[in-house]
Amino acid sequence: MNKQEIIEKLKNIVKPYIKNQDAFDKLTESTDFINDLQINSANLVDVILDIEEEFDIEIDNQSMERMLDVKSAIDIIETKLSEK
Amino acid sequence: MIGNDIVDLALAKKESNWKRKGFLDKIFTEKEQIMISKAENQELMVWNLWSRKEAAYKIYNRETQIRAYIPLQLECFNLEIIDGFYFGKVVIKNCIYFTKTAVKSQFINTIAVVNSQDFDTIKILKNLENIQKYNGIPSYIENDKLATKPISISHHGRFKQIISI
Repeated sequence: MNKQEIIEKLKNIVKPYIKNQDAFDKLTESTDFINDLQINSANLVDVILDIEEEFDIEIDNQSMERMLDVKSAIDIIETKLSEK
Repeated sequence: MIGNDIVDLALAKKESNWKRKGFLDKIFTEKEQIMISKAENQELMVWNLWSRKEAAYKIYNRETQIRAYIPLQLECFNLEIIDGFYFGKVVIKNCIYFTKTAVKSQFINTIAVVNSQDFDTIKILKNLENIQKYNGIPSYIENDKLATKPISISHHGRFKQIISI
């Protein structure tokens, strides 16, 4: 799976939780889930659980701590996929 | 330093399914999950503990400048219920924060402080007048000078709270 495919899947995952459509439309690797997309911090758990289901990976607690922006999410997903 | 958090219970019900598989495991420690399972109203306990973690994180984030998604590291401990308020502690690494939580029919609100006597001097502000953000952290401006008065703002659904110390 290449980076672009991961980003597309990630966009579908975060879409139900975003509160800032403009930031979502302009999403880049530096987009922050909370500050830019204004995802509620309790819904960040749902994003993480959805990522686990979609990519069939397990996000450990240490990785979860970094899960605040698109770039970190891609890094974590790529790492977990490569370990499979 | 202070931190606050407010949860609109109707909105939380709409936005989050706390019974979803894996949800509690990602954000609550084993001891906290026992508190939830033993609670008369489990849903209220979920948001009660969550608002404590959020309020405490705001102080931790400001004190350490560390930004991370660390609900499991912020562990809630109960002290007692006085005059209808839940008083507790949130511990992360070697930091301890004191929390005061109000559980109402429509919302849950937590205020976190570093010293427990600070609860007596908390002021609720009506609006954002004289408040400016520096590096993302709000402060109250007095006489055109940047005062050291910390502010914390929380907004969820129908409810918003601005506090100062």
